[in-house]
Amino acid sequence: MSDHILELIGAYLDGELHGGQLRQVETHLDECQSCREEVQSLQALSTALQAAPLPDFPTPERLAAEVALRLPRTPVKPMSRRALEVGWWLAPVGLILVWIFLSITLLIGNVVTITNQIGLLNSTVTQLVPDATIGTYWSGTLGQFGLLTGASLQWAGMTEAFTRTTLPPIIWQVSIALLYLSWMAIWWARHTLQGLGQPFDSGSRPTVN
Amino acid sequence: MTSISQANEMELVSRAQSGDRNAFSELVRAHAQGVLHVIYRMCGDMQVSEDAAQETFIQAWLRLPSYRPRASLRNWLYRIAVNTAIDMLRKEKRILPGAVDDLALTDPGPGPEARVASSERAEAVQVAVLALPDASRAVLVLREYEGLSYQEIAEALDIPVGTVMSRLNYARKLLKENLEVQLFSYAEAENV
Repeated sequence: MSDHILELIGAYLDGELHGGQLRQVETHLDECQSCREEVQSLQALSTALQAAPLPDFPTPERLAAEVALRLPRTPVKPMSRRALEVGWWLAPVGLILVWIFLSITLLIGNVVTITNQIGLLNSTVTQLVPDATIGTYWSGTLGQFGLLTGASLQWAGMTEAFTRTTLPPIIWQVSIALLYLSWMAIWWARHTLQGLGQPFDSGSRPTVN
Repeated sequence: MTSISQANEMELVSRAQSGDRNAFSELVRAHAQGVLHVIYRMCGDMQVSEDAAQETFIQAWLRLPSYRPRASLRNWLYRIAVNTAIDMLRKEKRILPGAVDDLALTDPGPGPEARVASSERAEAVQVAVLALPDASRAVLVLREYEGLSYQEIAEALDIPVGTVMSRLNYARKLLKENLEVQLFSYAEAENV
């Protein structure tokens, strides 16, 4: 008996097979006695399950009345919940927009700086460009007072330039990436636990996935 | 079961989402029977089923704002019902099928012996179903008792269709192993 067909027999009996798979199972059943017995066995199981009786439940009207009595007095506030949900889904879009805005700003700043350095900007535009000396403000001051000289001064200048010009873009990019990943992690966790991806769902905690 | 058209159900859902308790009560009436049956098949205790059904609808009321009409309301309720039943089972340290007195047994045979045999078989089936792992039992209940398609079960439980199929195969395999004698007697009864 083919294991592959065995796995399909349940779906065959449930009417879930179509096309080639259905023909494959039907052809196989014509030839295979043990698979036909498996079909009969599953049919008997289904009959046994259907025969299991149900008790007398309360009428739908009674259940509805009991539920109505237990419903929270305060009505749900769909609008506020909806606003929260919209905010949740807009959060990653906002992060991406912030990232794009800051990247473009940084790019324009770099272009203006380079253009200024090669002398293509007039005096009005150069006011927009940060003074290059700002990048080494405290190390330059220390050098003027003679507290740092030679290699130490050069190292301090490089460190200051790095922390004032290169580090901030790295920090905000990493921050945005972390926030985005956190959102994805929360979404994934909620999706896995509830299967809904809805962060504001209350109530019973779905456990079957 | 109170029957309502899909368009009417959408209208009721919309009104209930706006806080209309009467509209929600109509939805409860329409789906009460299905929810009760799913929960009973999941936990096997009538009193617990009633409590869990009430809890299911209260949870549905609270979560209604997040419900999207693209999913079937029935399947959405079944999902809450299944999870509520599992939560209840955990709280109650798993309920085993209690007195068969609860069961309104239909009389399939001519005499008391047939009734007793039928009752024993029904109890054995119920015990075997309740012994299944929660995830497999949920799939089996939705398929065998509620007649949901694999796609509907997948949507209700938010699992892939392939997982529905494998869990169903697993559940049936376990049941066949545990109910060998009962299945034989059912087959015998059918052949008579």
